[in-house]
Amino acid sequence: MEELITELKKEIIDVLNLEGMTPEDIDSDAPMFGDEGLALDSIDALELIVLLEKNYGIKLANAAAGKEVFKSVRTMAEYVSKNRTK
Amino acid sequence: MADKLVVTGMGIISGLGVGKNDTLQALLAEKSSVGAITHLQTTHTDIPVSEVQMTDEEMKTELHIPQSQLVTRTPLMAMIAAKEAIQQAHLQENKPKRIAFINGTTVGGMEKSEQFYLDFLGNENHKEFIAAHDCGAGTNAVADYFGIFDMTTTISTACSSAINALIIGANLIRTGKVDAAVVGGTECLSKFHLNGFNTLMILDRETCKPFSKNHVGLNLGEGAAYLVLEKAKAAQQRGVQPLCELNGYANFCDAFHQTATSPNGQGPFLAMQGALADANLQPSDIDYISCHGTGTGNNDSTEGIAITRVFGEHIPDFSSTKAFTGHTTSAAGSVEAVISILALQNNFVPANLNFSEKMDEVDIMPVTKTKRKEIQHVMNNSFGFGGNDSSCIFSKIK
Amino acid sequence: MDNGITSYCRITNKAVVVNGEKHTIPRTDSAWLSDIYHAENLSYPKFFKMDNLAKAGFLGAELTLQDVGIDKTEPKKNIAVVCCNRSSSLDDDTAYQQTIQNPADYYPSPAVFVYTLANIVTGEISIRNKIMGESAFYVMEHCNPQKFCSFVRGAFSDKTIDACLCGWTEYNNGNCDVLFLFVTRNELNDLELNIEKLYR
Repeated sequence: MEELITELKKEIIDVLNLEGMTPEDIDSDAPMFGDEGLALDSIDALELIVLLEKNYGIKLANAAAGKEVFKSVRTMAEYVSKNRTK
Repeated sequence: MADKLVVTGMGIISGLGVGKNDTLQALLAEKSSVGAITHLQTTHTDIPVSEVQMTDEEMKTELHIPQSQLVTRTPLMAMIAAKEAIQQAHLQENKPKRIAFINGTTVGGMEKSEQFYLDFLGNENHKEFIAAHDCGAGTNAVADYFGIFDMTTTISTACSSAINALIIGANLIRTGKVDAAVVGGTECLSKFHLNGFNTLMILDRETCKPFSKNHVGLNLGEGAAYLVLEKAKAAQQRGVQPLCELNGYANFCDAFHQTATSPNGQGPFLAMQGALADANLQPSDIDYISCHGTGTGNNDSTEGIAITRVFGEHIPDFSSTKAFTGHTTSAAGSVEAVISILALQNNFVPANLNFSEKMDEVDIMPVTKTKRKEIQHVMNNSFGFGGNDSSCIFSKIK
Repeated sequence: MDNGITSYCRITNKAVVVNGEKHTIPRTDSAWLSDIYHAENLSYPKFFKMDNLAKAGFLGAELTLQDVGIDKTEPKKNIAVVCCNRSSSLDDDTAYQQTIQNPADYYPSPAVFVYTLANIVTGEISIRNKIMGESAFYVMEHCNPQKFCSFVRGAFSDKTIDACLCGWTEYNNGNCDVLFLFVTRNELNDLELNIEKLYR
């Protein structure tokens, strides 16, 4: 799981253009959205949905489904681990 | 009254049909034009849209343009709509001294560029379409077709483009730069923006449901519409009858997010309030609001909240006509301006189709069945990505 | 004030000049616009989510406003934002097209799609500076001082507007050509001449 978490952090930094960040800078359990942590917004959420499909073959039906999945990097990794088809 | 701005001509083409009469009949019959994609060549056949029911070839025939002449779909629709407006205002027979053409579009010639993109990169085929790609190329094609314009420009502010074209044209007349302006917007469907809106997850897989609790998104549409603007005195001197007055307008920036509106609808609130101030009217003077009402959760709730902030206890009759025409993006402001003026002239409020129950976020209800009533002042809203929010008011001439 | 305008900024592929003063931009392996961001010690992480056109416009506005002294946190309605260029959002349109070009690798990018609209630039500038006045984006063949000036004058026809943050914001295929200005109402008379001088 830790390997997947690191892999996800690298992909998140790349896809969301988080300039100057490294995987070590991201707290695996911190909320990704909202005012703290990475402070991602609605467009970032949509990009993560595309990431899930492109890299892991997981298709989320709508933007609302992302809320639970993207709570933190760890919840995202757990979801990917369970549902990946790639 | 002499200095007032008036509308002396208008023209329209959309999924509802060609011209004002087709449009009026469809509105009164409560007949939506949203349905399965038939013209655009895409694999997304499950996405309902509103398409203009004319091929490019049919439009060229209608315009007496040789089939061999390269004109893309966006300017073709513009020519048909502008022709109706220009003829009504007698601009060709009785030309004002200086006329501007202010055209709103974002897609431009893209529906051809995306078709021939690989050719552009790999071979000499279809290279002539490259020059037709720019938004400005389409504007020039329309201007050249009529040959009456002294100044042209293209506005590209997404869904508020057409109202902004109207504002720019009005400002140019008010500041004495031109004597008349043909203003509006045009947009055809393209795979580019169909896929784009789809990836933003804001499309409805059924006909949209503006202001309704079960709304899930918008339907894209295509079309074009133009108004002719000039000062009342100039119209009188040219011997043309004004249709109505352009009483006020405003544009403000929401300054919140690239695509979402702020939770309290600040940009829309400022735009509506600004238009009222420009027109020197009170909120209670407005008889009908033709809303932006796209059918997305974010737009409908924030526009709704902004309406309650402007109009307080006494919310005027309002509706969105996007379930009729789809969201025609850069043309929406002028397509809906023509609809607003038809409502004004014919004294009716178009129905807000597909409404089932009120949203949770704001306690307001649109007009759900066509309503006959006297209309003196109508407000028309268009809100674009980038927080670019515009509103204008048309009034009957006393 | 220089050249009869409250403040201006000129950014090309070679140089950054703010009110007559050339700024030193150390080059790294990063993109030119990123180098400018770092050299100017800006602190706005959202910059890196923008496309090239929005970055160019953002930098033009940011550097123009450096010494103007407006409060970036207070909402203001008395400033208009007016931009124009030749290529609209073509640079980002091309990037977006790449994401839907190959049927076998077909993933339209929402973040890239957002920027396929020229007026997102005026939106980003407005968000950064809490400017809620009129905003518009025009597309024209060249930076024509007369046309540019008429659009700015149009913004001032609204009596509530005291200043206009305006710019020729062209970025396409690696070519950066930006002239940004902060203009007040009493600077309108000589604006056309000043734009011509500064754009050269």
